[in-house]
Amino acid sequence: MSLKTINAAPGFQDYLPKEYQDLLEDGPFFKQRKVSELGSFKEVIEEHPMCSGCAMTLFIRLVYLGLPSLEHTVICGTAGCGRLAISQGAVPFIYGNYGDTNAVASGLKRGLDIRFPDTPKDVVVMAGDGGLADIGFHGVMHSWFRKEKFTTIMLDNEVYGNTGGQDSGMTQKGMVMKMAPTGKKFEKMDMLGLAKTAGVAYTARIAPTNPTRVANTVRKAVLIAREVGPTFIQAYTSCNIEYAIPTPKVMDDARDVEKDRYGFVEYFSDDAKAYWEESEKERKRLRKAEKK
Amino acid sequence: MYSVADIDVEICGATKCRLCTQFCPEGNTILYDEIRGTAYVAVDRCKGCEICVGICDDLAKHHAIKMVPIDQIKEGFEISKIGFKRTLVESE
Ligand SMILES: Cc1ncc(C[n+]2csc(CCOP(=O)(O)OP(=O)(O)O)c2C)c(N)n1
Ligand code: SF4
Ligand code: SF4
Ligand code: SF4
Ligand SMILES: [Mg+2]
Repeated sequence: MSLKTINAAPGFQDYLPKEYQDLLEDGPFFKQRKVSELGSFKEVIEEHPMCSGCAMTLFIRLVYLGLPSLEHTVICGTAGCGRLAISQGAVPFIYGNYGDTNAVASGLKRGLDIRFPDTPKDVVVMAGDGGLADIGFHGVMHSWFRKEKFTTIMLDNEVYGNTGGQDSGMTQKGMVMKMAPTGKKFEKMDMLGLAKTAGVAYTARIAPTNPTRVANTVRKAVLIAREVGPTFIQAYTSCNIEYAIPTPKVMDDARDVEKDRYGFVEYFSDDAKAYWEESEKERKRLRKAEKK
Repeated sequence: MYSVADIDVEICGATKCRLCTQFCPEGNTILYDEIRGTAYVAVDRCKGCEICVGICDDLAKHHAIKMVPIDQIKEGFEISKIGFKRTLVESE
């Protein structure tokens, strides 16, 4: 939870696992890495059992890149496929019960702000569509109504992937799944509309077709949550197993779905817009000053 | 038997491309050697999805990646044995 706790005590580093040593020497903790640097630094995710070619895995990988300060971040999640990789990331991860992610995150964020008044600590909920739109729905909505200052990221594969293919509120109407043999009866939930109604400061809908945009959107959402209020990212992260997408076609599917019905959209509240424009100006000014 | 991605370092090294490093779902799997100027694969981490092949063929248009049965890969790089390396050039 700070660079001090990530660093090894003097003389101790050689005895840590190689993976940890690599993170200290070539990891992303001490400077913000860019998408264009991928492959040239040690990433935080170790080996994990998510399926081959899973778009959710790619998205999670890019989220870690976008987080503005890894060493001051706690991720909250729950049951579902994503936690299989998130739990192998070198960023503190709290595994809430199914349904209580946003309640846990609310308490955590408030506690961290009291304990560390001078250091921004980021809390990010990252969980599935089932976890957030169905079973965790009340917790998500109330965290938004209460204007809790953290980011919620929905890994929307439009199915309960981890338990073998039940339809979720985010599944498209009519979709037939292994464990929904008569087809989904209702429309896909409009979580972005609900977020706006509940007063969320920034929302984005995104697919993992443009890695730089994913990282930038995550960074934006977390920074706005720090200063303004709750933020929400709804990400198309196909389940190639339940939707029977051959893995070499996973990115084609992402591009097709993006074009068809999952295009990038973002919405700012007035406060969020004002904050973001101001902070962009400030960053530009700093970059200019650095160049001189 | 399963296949893993194998990058032709001659073809890749002749480009300035790094595109597949951004699209492999797995972290620490397609690495990039700054000295040789090429991407390369940690064969112990590759799950054989072939996403990188589509990226290299269709987006980058370099055709540098082939899927190769794991037992035919000679001296494949294994990150779990060797650890993260900024380059595989020996003297570095
Ligand atoms: C209270 C509770 N009910 C049910 C489950 C079983 N369960 C585990 S994962 C899962 C579905 C996950 O679906 P989603 O949140 O969409 O994540 P995905 O696996 O699709 O990424 C369910 C129902 C549970 N762990 N806890
Ligand atoms: S079951 Fe689906 S969502 Fe889960 S890891 Fe496999 S492909 Fe990904
Ligand atoms: S996409 Fe092809 S050419 Fe580009 S870095 Fe990867 S292997 Fe090299
Ligand atoms: S085949 Fe899949 S897992 Fe292997 S290197 Fe290519 S994109 Fe990564
Ligand atoms: Mg799901």
